[in-house]
Amino acid sequence: MTPLEFFANHTYRMVFFGTMTIGLVAGALGTFAYLRKQSLISDVVSHAALPGTLLAFLGAVVVLGADGRNMLGLIVGAVVVGTIAALFANGVARTSKIRIDTAMAVALTIFFGAGMLLLRVVADGSFPGKGGIQDYLFGNASVITVADLATSIAVGAIALLLMIVFWKEFALRTFDPDHAAVLGFSARTIDTLMFTTIVIATVIGVKAVGLVLMVAFVVTPPAAARQWTRTLRGMVVLSAAIGAVGSGLGAYLSVALGSIPTGPLIVLTLFAIFVFSLVFSPRRSIVMRAIGRSRARAELKRDLDREAAVR
Amino acid sequence: MSFLAGTVLLAVTISLACALPGVFVVLRKSSMLVDAIGHAVLPGIVLGFFFTRDLDSPLLVIGAALAGLVVVLGSEWLGRTGLLTGDAPQGLIFPALFSVGVILITLDFADVHLDTHAVLVGDLNLAAFVPVTVGGVSIGPAYLYLMVGVLVLNAVFLTAFYAPLKITTFDAAFAATLGIRTGLLNAAFMLLVSLTVTASFNGAGAILVVALMIVPPATAALVSRRLPVMITVTVVIAVVGALAGFWLAYVLDAATSAGMAVFLGLVFVAVFAVTRLTRRRRIRSLDTAPGAPAIPRNRPVGRR
Repeated sequence: MTPLEFFANHTYRMVFFGTMTIGLVAGALGTFAYLRKQSLISDVVSHAALPGTLLAFLGAVVVLGADGRNMLGLIVGAVVVGTIAALFANGVARTSKIRIDTAMAVALTIFFGAGMLLLRVVADGSFPGKGGIQDYLFGNASVITVADLATSIAVGAIALLLMIVFWKEFALRTFDPDHAAVLGFSARTIDTLMFTTIVIATVIGVKAVGLVLMVAFVVTPPAAARQWTRTLRGMVVLSAAIGAVGSGLGAYLSVALGSIPTGPLIVLTLFAIFVFSLVFSPRRSIVMRAIGRSRARAELKRDLDREAAVR
Repeated sequence: MSFLAGTVLLAVTISLACALPGVFVVLRKSSMLVDAIGHAVLPGIVLGFFFTRDLDSPLLVIGAALAGLVVVLGSEWLGRTGLLTGDAPQGLIFPALFSVGVILITLDFADVHLDTHAVLVGDLNLAAFVPVTVGGVSIGPAYLYLMVGVLVLNAVFLTAFYAPLKITTFDAAFAATLGIRTGLLNAAFMLLVSLTVTASFNGAGAILVVALMIVPPATAALVSRRLPVMITVTVVIAVVGALAGFWLAYVLDAATSAGMAVFLGLVFVAVFAVTRLTRRRRIRSLDTAPGAPAIPRNRPVGRR
């Protein structure tokens, strides 16, 4: 399929721009999760998005009698519950001897298990517009509507704006939390804000990509970008670019190859970019490092031999 | 054996088989690795099915467990290169492997008819559907015997290697000076974890197996300070959780594993809240006890 045909099709266009938006926002904000060494928090958040989405859906249909499929309502529900899950994991780790990895695993399974029970309730009940709510498990990029795209762009823009406005606070808290505390920045406020932006970045992709694979959108672009740059600004920009380009490319490939699900193919595209970065980045390439190390070893051996010969 | 009794027994067996190694997983800070393994075994299961044509085959379980080990060793290697920080390495590998599995399933490779829904939460009742009959009498589901095997394997391994496991878990450097092959022991233990996760996949799915493995030991860790106590509490919680979760799912007509996960989660939250409250109360009672060292508080000392 030529690119021209690709962009002439409305569905493909939506898939392309929808996933690119997700990749861009997740790539940019994933940088902070990566640098805080808590990339997997996005996995907790994406799983907690399931009960959040379902609660928002039930709330809209049962309480308000409104359209349960409203993207903005679903996103708000997912963001609220996702943030609660992230704060719960961090709170348990801070106030008990449970460590953060276990706290994250506990949070993930509690919220996901609750989501599966709720899903059962929704599936059994006769709620209008419940079709497609199962897409949140594995994601379905082909159902992105214009309204969905507009909502993701708007919500993503808010998250990016928050990041730009609080850039100094985020950077300080990430690299030197003690200094940030001494300067009088409230750690709790900054953390809540930072995690909220990460939650937003995770949540806007869940419907299109699925809750299992969303973590790859948050982890992979920063990990790849980190190999090429040493500044925070460079890393955020590059990571966003990698996320957007990788997602667009993966979406195009999935359509061009036919009948291959979009989400998994994007994940594999991003992974390929990461492997490329690991092998070929100028300063940190593992191949160059291995060559350099063996060269140094040979040199040392030569020196030692020469020394032995002199004696 | 009736279908209900077989399924309940299966729930308890899976719960125990997961929770036992879970104790050490929690103590070794590898909890999220279980989540990663749970997803990474998917391509292994699809490929294994291609060769064995039987989802309950022990060969398939072992093959898929090796795929789970790819995540463990791969992320350790990535972490050792020093090019990545934090928990990113496992977050990089397991979605990629899971993607491969999903693509293989959608392409109908090997005609494996895994319901994508069941991949995530499993289906205990379906897993318990094929009975073993001896002399015309049903003696419980076939899957039960696989899980009993895994449970026995776990129990034997943990008993046999209890001492070295304990030392490597709490003081790896000291263990290495004692001559314990920590790397090898870790690989063997993680292979066992991977094996357990794979075997439980049918009944609990990729995600909720994490609940069975991590939540009971995490709850036990809140209330215990010694390893034997922690193991005992874990076993009790695992059995109670399996029974209560089964009942919860039965009432709600939902997936059994989801019921178990939610019930175990509620137990964790309750224990967490109680331990926090009692600790706060203990600090307060220390504060007001006669002869206690004066702890500065934001109130006038004279009013004590």
